[in-house]
Amino acid sequence: MLKAENIKKTYNAGKKIALQDFSLEVPTASIYGLLGPNGAGKTSFIRIINQITQADEGKVWIDGKELNPEHIRNIGYMPEERGLYKNMTVGDQLLYFGELKGMSRAEALSQAKFWFEQLNIDQWWKKKLSELSKGMAQKIQFVVTVLHRPKLLILDEPFSGFDPVNANLIKDQIIRLKNEGTTIILSTHRMESVEEMCDFVALINNSKKVLDGKVFDVREQFKQNVFSVVLADTNSENLEELTRKYQIENMTTNNGLFHFELKNSENQNILLQDLLKTGTIRTFNEKIPSMNEVFINAVKE
Amino acid sequence: MKNIYLITKREFLTQVKKKSFIILTILAPLLMVGFGVLIGFMFKANEAEYHFDVVDKSGLFAGQLKSTKEITYTFVPANTENALVKNLKDLKGTDGLLIIPELKAMDFDALESGTKLLTNKKVGMDTKTFVSADLSNILKKEKIKQLGIKEDRIVNLDKNFKLISQNVTESDSPESDFAFGIKTALSLGLMYVVFMFIIIYGVRVMRSVLEEKNNRVVEIIISSVKPFELMMGKILGVTLVALTQFTVWIAMTVTAAIFLNTGFSAMQKNIPAGEEHILKNLDIQQVATEVSHILLDMNYVGIIGVFVFFFLFGYIFYSSMYAAIGSAVDNETETQQFTLFAVVPLMLGLYGSFTIMNNPDGPMAFWLSIIPFTSPVAMIARIPFGVPLWQILLSIFLLIASTLLMVFIASKIYRVGILMYGNKATLKEIWKWIRS
Repeated sequence: MLKAENIKKTYNAGKKIALQDFSLEVPTASIYGLLGPNGAGKTSFIRIINQITQADEGKVWIDGKELNPEHIRNIGYMPEERGLYKNMTVGDQLLYFGELKGMSRAEALSQAKFWFEQLNIDQWWKKKLSELSKGMAQKIQFVVTVLHRPKLLILDEPFSGFDPVNANLIKDQIIRLKNEGTTIILSTHRMESVEEMCDFVALINNSKKVLDGKVFDVREQFKQNVFSVVLADTNSENLEELTRKYQIENMTTNNGLFHFELKNSENQNILLQDLLKTGTIRTFNEKIPSMNEVFINAVKE
Repeated sequence: MKNIYLITKREFLTQVKKKSFIILTILAPLLMVGFGVLIGFMFKANEAEYHFDVVDKSGLFAGQLKSTKEITYTFVPANTENALVKNLKDLKGTDGLLIIPELKAMDFDALESGTKLLTNKKVGMDTKTFVSADLSNILKKEKIKQLGIKEDRIVNLDKNFKLISQNVTESDSPESDFAFGIKTALSLGLMYVVFMFIIIYGVRVMRSVLEEKNNRVVEIIISSVKPFELMMGKILGVTLVALTQFTVWIAMTVTAAIFLNTGFSAMQKNIPAGEEHILKNLDIQQVATEVSHILLDMNYVGIIGVFVFFFLFGYIFYSSMYAAIGSAVDNETETQQFTLFAVVPLMLGLYGSFTIMNNPDGPMAFWLSIIPFTSPVAMIARIPFGVPLWQILLSIFLLIASTLLMVFIASKIYRVGILMYGNKATLKEIWKWIRS
C-alpha cells in the first residue's frame, strides 16, 4: 500500500541528518509497527508521508501513485502531541476537521454519530474540549483521526494517556479497522502492543533502518534457543545428568517444582525425552524474545 | 480554496461568538455615550439657582439686566441697602446682594470698581462670570450710546475677515475654513481608526496562531491543509471580524447622532448670555446640514474606495507580519521583541500624518503615502484633501506588490515556525527559514 524508497531528510542545511537511505514497504490491510528510540527519525518519516515536510531525496508511493496532495484526504494522522481547540465544542470540531479532509457536512455528521456509538461517548457532542478529562479528549482525538474513513492510518503513540480499559477499547477499534481493509502504521514504544497487534515491524535507529519484516520472523531471527521448563516429581539422579548434558540456568525450586532454563540447539524431541526421564513435565516453552528484547539488542549494535 | 473558506469561517465564528466580542462591539459605544450623558447630567445636577437682590444707584441696569433660569435679579430700592446688608446672612430667599454705585461724571471704571456682589453662600465661578458678563454687556451698550455711535456700527468693527480661498489648479469650488476643518477632522478620524484597527486585529491574528501552536492542534491541521492556506484563512477570518465590528459601530454612530441632536439643544441653554454669537455658528441642525453638504461635495465615493482599499491591504500586510511573529515564538511575552517591526512603522505613519494637515501636498506627505509601510495610514489621512490620481495609483501598486511579498515571506516563516517548539527564534534563525 505504501512504499518508500531511499528517503533522505536533513535539517539545518544538511547539518542534522534525520533519515538516510530509508526504504519501507507496508502491505495493504496490515498493522505495521514503526519502532525506534527517540530522535531516530520516525517522526520525520511520518511527516513526510503526511506531506507536512518534503524529503530531500527519495520517493514515496501510495497504491502505486507518487505522493501528491490528493492523498491527504485518504490519510488519517494522530500526532504524538495531542491537541484540539479547547474552546470549541466536540461536535463542531469533528465537523470542522472532517470537512478539512474533504468530507461533506452530512458525511461528517453521520460518521461522527457512528463513532460516538462505538466508543460510547454520545453525551459529549455539545461539550467543550476544556470540560473533558484527558482520557476523554484522547478518545475524541482518535475519532478526529478516523472520521473521514482514511485508507491509511498513521498513529503516533496512540495509547499514551489511556488507562488500560480505554487502551483496550482503542486497540479493538484499530484491529476492527484493519479487518475492514485499513492500513495502519503504528509508531510506539510499547512493545507489548507491537506483539499483540502488529503484523509487520520496522526498527529505525540513528536515521537508518536496522531491521524489518513480519513480527514473527523478526522474533524468530533473534531467538537464542532457550527453553523454559518446569518439572515435578524429579528424579535427582537424572536431574544431575541433565545438568551435565545441557547448559542449565536460573534453577529455582518451589513447592517441589523445579524451574529452570536451558539452551538447546539440537533436536527438540531428544531434549523432551531427556526431560521425560527426569520428571513430570509441567511446562515446556521455547523462549522467543519479546519485541522489547529485540529492540534493546538491535539498538545496542 | 475550499480549505481557506473553511478556516476563515471557523476563525470568524469563533471570534464573533466570544462574549468579549459582543460586549466590545455593542456595549463599548453605548458605554461611551452613556458616560458622556452621565457627565452632562452631573453638570446639570450641580446647577444651582441664585436669587440676587440688586441695588442699582446708577439707574443704568434697571430695565436691562435680564433674569435667566439660573440667576434671578430682583431690583430693590436703594434705601433698603443698609438693612439688606445687615440681614443678608440670615435671609432665606436671597442668595446675594448686587450693589451698583452711582455713575459720576461718566466714570465707568469707577462704577465697575465700586460694584460689589455680597453673597451669603458660596457662588461658583461660572455664576460670577455670568453676572460679570451681563453687567459688562450692558455697560458696553451704555458706553457706545455715550460715544454717540449706533450699536450695530460697533458690532461691525468686530467682524471677522472671512477669507475665501480657491486653488486655481484644482477644479474644486472655493472652500471655506469650515470645510477645511471638516476635512481635517475626517482625515484625523479615519487615520486613527485605521491605525487602531490594524494593531488590535493584527494582534488577534498573532494570538490565534499562538493558541493553535500551544494546544498542538496545528499539527493535525497541517496534515490536512497547507500552511499557507491556514495562514490566509486566519487572516481573512479576522479581517471579517474587524469589518463586522466596524460596520456595527458605524450603524450605531449614525443612530446615536440622531439622538444626540436633541441632547445638544439642551447644551445650548448653558452657554453664557453674552456669548450668544458663538451659538449662531453652533446651531447643530445647521452644522449637520453644512457638514453633510461638504462631505457630499467631496469625492466621497473615491474617498470611501481609497479608504476601503488601503485599510484592507494595509491590514493584510500587517496581519501577515503578525502571523509570522506568532509562529516564530512559543508564547506572548516572546512576541514583544518582534512586534516593534509592526508598531514602529505604523506610528511613524500616524505621527507623520499630522504634518499632512499643514501641508497636504508636501514632500513628507508624498513619501509617507507612497511607502508601503506607512501608506495605509498616511494615504487615508491625505485623501480628504484630494490627491492626484497618479500618486494614488502608484501607492496602490506599491502596496499590492509589497503585500504579496510580505504574505510570501510570512508564509515561509509561518510554515517552519508553527511546528517548531522550544526554539528561541532569533532574527538569524528566521532569516534561514526565509531562505530555505
